[in-house]
Amino acid sequence: MTTKAKQAQSGRLLPIPIPWERVPWWAIILAAVGITVGWSVLTSEAYLEVIRFVIDGLQLTLQVTFIAYFIALIVGLIFGLMRVSENPILYAASTLYVEVIRGIPLLVIILYVGFVITPNLRDATDGRINLQGVPAAVLGIAICYAAYMAEIYRGGIESIERGQMEAARSLGMNYIQAMRHVILPQAIRRVLPPLGNNLIAMLKDSSLMAVIALPDLLQMGRLYVSRTFRAFEGYNTVALLYLVMTLVLSLVVRVIERRVAIE
Amino acid sequence: MNRNQDPIISIENVYKSFGHVRAVVDVSMNVYPGEVVVIIGPSGGGKSTLLRCINKLETIDQGRIIVDGHSITETKNINKVRAEIGMVFQLFNLFPHLTALENIVLAQRVVRQRKTKRAEEIAHEQLAKVGIAEKWNSYPSQLSGGQQQRVAIARALAMEPKIMLFDEPTSALDPEMIKGVLDVMLDLAEEGMTMVVVSHEMGFVRAAADRVALLDEGSIVEITTPEKLFSAPEEERTQQFLSQILH
Repeated sequence: MTTKAKQAQSGRLLPIPIPWERVPWWAIILAAVGITVGWSVLTSEAYLEVIRFVIDGLQLTLQVTFIAYFIALIVGLIFGLMRVSENPILYAASTLYVEVIRGIPLLVIILYVGFVITPNLRDATDGRINLQGVPAAVLGIAICYAAYMAEIYRGGIESIERGQMEAARSLGMNYIQAMRHVILPQAIRRVLPPLGNNLIAMLKDSSLMAVIALPDLLQMGRLYVSRTFRAFEGYNTVALLYLVMTLVLSLVVRVIERRVAIE
Repeated sequence: MNRNQDPIISIENVYKSFGHVRAVVDVSMNVYPGEVVVIIGPSGGGKSTLLRCINKLETIDQGRIIVDGHSITETKNINKVRAEIGMVFQLFNLFPHLTALENIVLAQRVVRQRKTKRAEEIAHEQLAKVGIAEKWNSYPSQLSGGQQQRVAIARALAMEPKIMLFDEPTSALDPEMIKGVLDVMLDLAEEGMTMVVVSHEMGFVRAAADRVALLDEGSIVEITTPEKLFSAPEEERTQQFLSQILH
């Protein structure tokens, strides 16, 4: 029985000893520094001005990151499953995708999607499919990260002992059922840390969308600096906002990892 | 056991190689409904491979295996045939992310299409039968090896298979855990389950086996009854092997 179940049974919460060695000291120190810096920033009119200027960019950054991450999670899973498939066509297709995309810098992919694929797609469909602007950034980032994630999923699936698949198949499950009910639930738990890292990396890499002139956090920061020539306050604010977001995500990822750990 | 019936497992001239290693060489044998056949032999002799060929965990290179009227090599739906063949592994292979109960329920729901409630009833029954009813809500990591193996047996039995295959079910267990698992297997044999067992538990062979096959270098050296095996084995290789393991 789990500790929680025991507590539920006894009807009240038992006193839990504080696990001092597991306290995330680094986070506490960082939070202290953060509060100090944050306080001085929020009480300074100069910084507040920057924040007010870039706040819409921050929203776009988060929006693009989460949508692209969601797409990359799904597409990456599909390519990851193809990478472990015994079907030579599926395997070859996903290997080709991973090797090509992994070998091209994200910056180049975003430029290519933004200035080659989407304008051509628009012209070819007489403007019916117009993915220019934000969709292009989402697409470029998702395409790139799907390739990384495919490799993460593949590693996770291959790390599950062969006996698990054999046991599932010997019970009469087909390959898909065994994958879905036995292999993937275990594999995904194992790859949560790298998947979480990718969310954080993606948030930072989303700043590359500035090259197709989208007003994300970085682009708005640059705009502010070019207008006011206050580079110190401008880039301090941008860096601080990215740091706050990645730290929050890092904590969220940790909580999720703990929640789903195999007992 | 009923020899007048058709065999439920029929293995005909089966060959299986891994690269240049010949694991199974021209093996033929029948298993009749209700029969308990134990396969013994030195390690690397092809025992496990032969067993795994029966439910197509290994594909054979040559020959034919017919299980319950279905040719394993030609059947369109191997999953349907596998659902009738329970398999117990040396390392249990329980699903670590599921509780004992969920381990037993999963395939019943997914393969047998049973409603969750019905599947859970059957799972509780099977757990009681293997003597660990109270462990239904434990995860595999919270169970001893012997308990895990009994859950694995219950998981296979819940599918109501016609045949049970055991691949060295006790060789990964601590000595004091072995008896509990063997008792479950003895009960099963007594109930008339058709069983093919790879094991060196001579106590089990004596108590439950109808026939014993000695497999060496991929070939069957001798198939005989336990009485004959222990009193007067025909082949010199059999005598030699027995003298090694009976001490």
